[in-house]
Amino acid sequence: MSAKPTKPGFNVPWSEVVLVTGLIIAVLYMNSLSPAFLSPSNFFQITRISAEIGLIALGMTLVIITGGIDLSVGSILGLSGIVMGFLYTAGLNIWLAALIGVAAGALCGLINGQLITRAGIPPLIVTLATLAIFRGLALGISQARSFGNYPKEFLALGAGYAGPIPTQLIVFVVLVIAVGLILAQSTLGRFIYAIGNNATAARFSGVPVNRVLVLVYTLSGALAGLAGVIFTARVSSARSDAGMGNELDAITAVVLGGASIAGGSGSIVGTLLGLLLVGVVRNGLTLAFIPAEQQAIIIGLILLVAVLLNQVIRLRTGRG
Amino acid sequence: MKRVFVLLSVLALAVATVFALAQSGKKITVVMIPKLVGIDYFNATQKGAEEAAKELGNVTLRYVGPTEASAAKQIELIENAIQAKVDVISVAANDPKALAPALQKARDAGIKVVTWDADADSRDVFTNQATFTGIGEALIDSMVDQIGKDGPAAIITSDLTAPNQNSWIAAMKDKIAKAYPNFKIVDTKAPGEDQQKAFQAAQDLMKAYPDLKGIFALSSVAFPGAADAVKQAGKSGKVAVVGLSTPKQMAPFVKDGTVRDVVLWNPIDLGYLSIYAARAAVDGTLKEGAKIKAGRLGEYTVTKDKLSLQILLGKPFIFNKSNIDNFNF
Repeated sequence: MSAKPTKPGFNVPWSEVVLVTGLIIAVLYMNSLSPAFLSPSNFFQITRISAEIGLIALGMTLVIITGGIDLSVGSILGLSGIVMGFLYTAGLNIWLAALIGVAAGALCGLINGQLITRAGIPPLIVTLATLAIFRGLALGISQARSFGNYPKEFLALGAGYAGPIPTQLIVFVVLVIAVGLILAQSTLGRFIYAIGNNATAARFSGVPVNRVLVLVYTLSGALAGLAGVIFTARVSSARSDAGMGNELDAITAVVLGGASIAGGSGSIVGTLLGLLLVGVVRNGLTLAFIPAEQQAIIIGLILLVAVLLNQVIRLRTGRG
Repeated sequence: MKRVFVLLSVLALAVATVFALAQSGKKITVVMIPKLVGIDYFNATQKGAEEAAKELGNVTLRYVGPTEASAAKQIELIENAIQAKVDVISVAANDPKALAPALQKARDAGIKVVTWDADADSRDVFTNQATFTGIGEALIDSMVDQIGKDGPAAIITSDLTAPNQNSWIAAMKDKIAKAYPNFKIVDTKAPGEDQQKAFQAAQDLMKAYPDLKGIFALSSVAFPGAADAVKQAGKSGKVAVVGLSTPKQMAPFVKDGTVRDVVLWNPIDLGYLSIYAARAAVDGTLKEGAKIKAGRLGEYTVTKDKLSLQILLGKPFIFNKSNIDNFNF
């Protein structure tokens, strides 16, 4: 158990071994709780429901590695869905409307990024404020109506399958690979880690800190916007309360995945494992008909235990 | 290998046949999904559902719901229930449209879908708690019983566009036209869903119409607001207030005599009936015109509506001094 120097996001740190072990235990336990748990169709069911949170968590991973946080993503999800639904209902082509929905998400992220870098307001405060503002906009545009009646081809994005594989899983996997490659292999990825480790040092070493940050928040917004479009297709109606609380689910997955909330560490693989662990536990407990309030307690406890274990590992291996 | 396969197929077929034959009376699992958990109203429906499941003995009830009134969370629960291969999904829908695809998927998978409290666009049967006509007539009957056949009374609704309230008002006017043609409705105020504004509206009405004998308060916030205004004006017993609200909220006004009747339905009975409806849906006895037995509530006739089938809980329930303390919601 020697303390190997870690190249960020590339080799498997101990926190991920802990997660995989936790995941195996969870799968075995859930299997004993409900006979319906261990089946391919249920596995795809988990990924279907997790894809939206997963998209948000991808962006959140980048944001958290830079040492920031994005609380507004749940509201962006809701707003993007409403923008799309509103435009479609007004007569726009559905795919164009969906594209504008994603763009609206990106714009929201861009606003976050600009406020954080130009006005120098901490990300927690900026996104706490925009969480309220974007939700308010969604409510205002929708006037508490929901937008429905989408064409079948569009609904397939959230409710269709290619063979046994849900459509959104394919979209999600493509984006996982893309974001994973950016983070682990590109210059941008190295910049992101550098900013999280020490923003001042990064700035003096020539990292365009502000530009990278704006890009990261914009990407986070765009992914939340895409999640909003997929959500709308899955439930076949756009509602202003969609995505409420999703930011916390995404942060849970990222932190479970071993990212430090102080920035500088975290990986897409870790986030995926965290996402899967939460998805498996929630699905298993629901199949066993454990009430929602007890599920929340169990997931909270898992998060605490995982973070504590990570802490211990970091101390013993001399990292962090 | 091939023989094993054939053998297995035959076995599966046999099992399926036995299952089909044993459908009636077999043990079934019902997942019941309220709009949200942790509020008194849906605790009351749970109580009734548990009572019915226990009485039937062959129903395993799983009462699970989201902690906030979210359609997305309900969809997740429905989809998981499909995976768990339950027999019935019974839901009070947060969004009739959004839930429909998931419920349709459940029905395609052979699961019976019962809606109650709030209907959805895809289901096998809706357990309807009360009709607009039923509520409208109960309101008028209670008022006439308290202040006589001539009124005069006024209405405090929520917004002028509120669909439920408008349907109730239409039903009330029908009843007046049919049974009490001299009954006068002098004014209709629309203070919105706001208790303070409803309080104000009631005060204004009493000032503008000194001989006013009754106020209809048609929302769960208008009712306590109007009752409070009457009480503070010292007109308890002189101006009758009748309306729709939950018993716990109205209990103080009922006890001090400002309000005699609170019109609503009994959520315990609603939960109870929906379980009997679930049982009948699986047993295949749910058909238009059929009569189903629902334990202590007696017999119900199944009717056809524009989506599928419907069972009506019955006349609205009146909460008054004699029973209001039995209801904790």
